Amino acid sequence: MNREKDLANYAAVFFVFVSLLFVLFPSARIAQTVRILVSYSLYPSLHYGDNYDHFVRNVPQNILGLLKTDQENRALTGRIKELELSLKAAETVREENARLTQALGLAAHSPLRGVWARVVNKNVQDWYGVVFISKGARDGIAPNSTVIGFENGRMGLAGRVFEVYQDFSKVLLITNGVSSVICSGPGAGFEGLAEGRGTWLLKVNYIPEGTAISEGMELVTSPGGLLFPQGLPVGRVQKVHPKESFMNFITADVAPAVAINALKEVLVVKRELPSDLGAAVK
Amino acid sequence: MLAGLVHWWWSAKLAVFGLAPNVIFAAALSAAILARPAKSICLGFFFGLYLDVLGASMFGGYALSYTLMAYGVYLMKRHLDLASPFSQAVAALVLTVVSTLFYHGLALSLAGASPLRLREFLAEPFLNAALAPLVFHVFLRLKRRSGVL
Repeated sequence: MNREKDLANYAAVFFVFVSLLFVLFPSARIAQTVRILVSYSLYPSLHYGDNYDHFVRNVPQNILGLLKTDQENRALTGRIKELELSLKAAETVREENARLTQALGLAAHSPLRGVWARVVNKNVQDWYGVVFISKGARDGIAPNSTVIGFENGRMGLAGRVFEVYQDFSKVLLITNGVSSVICSGPGAGFEGLAEGRGTWLLKVNYIPEGTAISEGMELVTSPGGLLFPQGLPVGRVQKVHPKESFMNFITADVAPAVAINALKEVLVVKRELPSDLGAAVK
Repeated sequence: MLAGLVHWWWSAKLAVFGLAPNVIFAAALSAAILARPAKSICLGFFFGLYLDVLGASMFGGYALSYTLMAYGVYLMKRHLDLASPFSQAVAALVLTVVSTLFYHGLALSLAGASPLRLREFLAEPFLNAALAPLVFHVFLRLKRRSGVL
């Protein structure tokens, strides 16, 4: 009995010590190693669980889809032939366009390209903090990639990739308490720092006094913030707080452009970050 | 692993208004009641670590909370009968509040911010209290059949 008691005491001291080590030194090599090792325990639920759930859920639709696909396939075969001809013509036009763009010194249009992923898990203990998505390193997802959410045909910044695993990734949402985005009003000529607060609202700080900011104004990612592509909708101003006497800037509450707690599918933008910025974020 | 799978499934598919019971907590509590002391503390630590990997904030915070909770249950079960569903529900209710306050207190003191949602803080203890006897029953059957705990 005494041996068991001693063993329990030793175990408690040992595990409390190890936990404290992780809490106090989260960036230590040992903490990172343990984090990676423990992350393998997420595979059954986040990878296999979600895949099978998605598969089972979609069986009736998949059968209907197969029948429809067969019909469409026949119709599309003819259409493809027509389009191949159009494609040849379009390629010629695109090459000409590229030549003219270069000749005139215009900036090339670079649309957002990325990978679509499903949101496979939300952490109830951190509802506005992180979500897991169904794509990982195998699909070319890299840390700090921009994550865009969609709601009723509108898009908006949802967050950035925080940790990448082989088949899934963890996304740090813009509403997370440690998240911040440099944003600006379109044509408003000011920049502010939108910070997450762990709730559904963001708080924009450091808006210069006298700035023309008003309720309903849409804020977008600023060219000044290198982490995210510029011009992505961040949210809409809900309330502008009056300046306090001891501050020389004003603040505002901003509702995210997309409902962060209702994300189903997201676009992870593949984009090369400047090497020094990537290292700094890590 | 099984507890993690159920926790994922419940929070991803069955959360209502962003609320779901903490299956990992219920599993850690049941393991602490059923297993031998050293093993229960070890299980508490690993269940906590699983929750830490799921989140993005203080790594090791849940591991510390659940390790201490398992040790507390070990001390408590010498004086209290935790075999009945009612006592398990009461223990789950009290320990959810205590561990939540401990975790967020720790996060507040170390990270300076801890977004504790009031709705979650008020509802989760009751959800956990309702779930804990059920998880205990499953663990008890597992223990009797396979001696896994």
